[in-house]
Amino acid sequence: MKRTSLTIAALAFGVGSALAASAAAEGISFRKVADMLYQVMSADREVYTRMVVQRLTVDNKVVTASEHFEDDTALPLPAQMFRFGAERVMDETEDFSYALLSLNPINKKNGPGTDLERKGLQFVVDNPGENFYGEEELGGERYFAAVYPDYAVVEACASCHNGHKDSPRRDIEVGDVMGGVVIRIPIK
Amino acid sequence: MSPKVVPWAVVAATLLGAVWFAAAMTVGGDRSALLIGETTDAHHQIEIACETCHAAPAFASAARAEKALNRGCRRCHDKELKAADDSHPRKKFRNPRMAAYWEKLDARLCTSCHVEHRPEITRVGAVTVAMDFCVACHSEGDQDVRADRPSHAGLGFETCASAGCHNYHDNRALYEKFLVRHAGEPWLAAVPVHEASARQRSRKPPSRAALARSDAIAPEAALADPAWLDRWAGSGHAAAGVNCGACHAPKSGKNATREKILARWVDAPGTAVCEDCHRPQARTFVLGRHGMRRHPRVAKPRNPLRQLRRIGLSQVVPDEVASWLADAAPPTTMTVAEARIPMRPDAAHRALDCGTCHTPHAVDTARAAVEACASCHDDSHTRAYFDSPHYALWRAELAGEASPGTGVSCATCHMPGTGRRNRIATDHNQNDNLRPNEKMIRPVCLDCHGLGFSLNALADAALVGRNFKGTPAVRVESIDWAKKRAATGKRETGG
Repeated sequence: MKRTSLTIAALAFGVGSALAASAAAEGISFRKVADMLYQVMSADREVYTRMVVQRLTVDNKVVTASEHFEDDTALPLPAQMFRFGAERVMDETEDFSYALLSLNPINKKNGPGTDLERKGLQFVVDNPGENFYGEEELGGERYFAAVYPDYAVVEACASCHNGHKDSPRRDIEVGDVMGGVVIRIPIK
Repeated sequence: MSPKVVPWAVVAATLLGAVWFAAAMTVGGDRSALLIGETTDAHHQIEIACETCHAAPAFASAARAEKALNRGCRRCHDKELKAADDSHPRKKFRNPRMAAYWEKLDARLCTSCHVEHRPEITRVGAVTVAMDFCVACHSEGDQDVRADRPSHAGLGFETCASAGCHNYHDNRALYEKFLVRHAGEPWLAAVPVHEASARQRSRKPPSRAALARSDAIAPEAALADPAWLDRWAGSGHAAAGVNCGACHAPKSGKNATREKILARWVDAPGTAVCEDCHRPQARTFVLGRHGMRRHPRVAKPRNPLRQLRRIGLSQVVPDEVASWLADAAPPTTMTVAEARIPMRPDAAHRALDCGTCHTPHAVDTARAAVEACASCHDDSHTRAYFDSPHYALWRAELAGEASPGTGVSCATCHMPGTGRRNRIATDHNQNDNLRPNEKMIRPVCLDCHGLGFSLNALADAALVGRNFKGTPAVRVESIDWAKKRAATGKRETGG
């Protein structure tokens, strides 16, 4: 399982680094780079959620998914897989960073932490199908930031979030915006 | 001395001091006088190998020096943090969205909480921030734990990591789901057996390989001493078919002739021969305080010629002077006298290597598991062991009155076996599960005791001092809170 997680993270990191390098070389806009990064992240996230978690935990019921997946001999949660990839990227580069956040997070540390995050997460909820772009200063450095909607793509997303004892929201349906992917690129 | 000479003498002494300082910093030589404060326990063993931590070049910028310093921490400690499923890994805080926290407590840097050479503010675990450090990130807005957890409303932040509920790094036995899963366990299991110990102690060497007294191949002088022969013949080495030459003539190779063994005989072989066969034990030995001077990450002495070349003075300084500037060869073993915990005075001269605990010819792991420890350690916990229920169980097992794994030796708790199935090796890093002591719960305590009892016992310092003779006077409430939250559908107390 760790190998799967690392492979997806490595792929995301490889594509992300290539995009960042390409942007620097050919002058692609930050927005375009962020959009492309999101496409990779979103595709990987949906593939894992749909083809691994939904299929094995809900459809075939051969394994469960758990926050404590090592102790429980279970699959990592889709949100954990996403975070592992983001942390793996941070180990390798500071050219970009990303996070999966929500206005209604099960784990409070995944709530909005900056004004831009709060504004962006609200925007993707209020404007279905649209993304949010902006700039902000963090730790003395200026960042381009983009917020993309994160949808409940399969039943497993909705049922897990609706049934979790710490979830502030219990009415999620497939297709709803559950949160957002925030991508940052330092403006150097 | 003439009054006129005094100023010149002061100038000359100052210049000489400056030259010595510059040479010691950039070329080589004893730098112990430059230590800016007492080094923390354990690190004091390697404090003259400054470059182990201070890896930045001399006169590097403060930022570069700090980065190098923290990289040094991670080079030695990253693996254990990963094994501990670190609750606050550095990678969690590197995302720029965490910038607001960097100003409060910069968790990207080990040195934010662990500053060396500051004994006046250093607490257990080499922590140098105030005990209420959790307040930095868990006291405001959505992250305010007191608002999120009603049970925490009246608690002081100085109690988070001191009451048996949370650790900053290792919460493997403290997270909510684990607490709930182990809630209601009896204080003692129906069959209290330490599984890894049971497998180790019931493991039998292959009988076909066993050697007898008459099989020993050694010089006549060695064979003439019946005590040596008897000890070897009764040892695990003889039982496993390890003849004298395996240690005393390692260069003679396998299946060597008697002549070849005798030709390459070494009376007192070093510990390298032990390490050749006992690799997992050797690998973990250097990770603990007993053997850390041999840790591969400890910086080697500086080469003064190379240092002079680096600063462009290799042609100016004669080789004789350069060799005089060489760093002293660091000791490769720790002596008992260097320990900072109570030790027996009569053991002060002992240097710690394999033979200190394992008498080379009588490979008696039972002795190494108890008597060897008590022959050096002289604290209340050690002394109380011999009057404890754990020791009574150990004696019963050794006497054949109880099953393997029912006895509790010092090593059962402090150097438990690790590994899977039959490939179990004793963890020779005796610090691995020691601090914080909750690290001991999963690999050791839970084999025999319930989680609630274990948490209470380990949180009761007086009971630890009595080596667990008696019952815990402390009650850790985290299991109750976790159960309550689980029952009401709300999470309570996490790692």
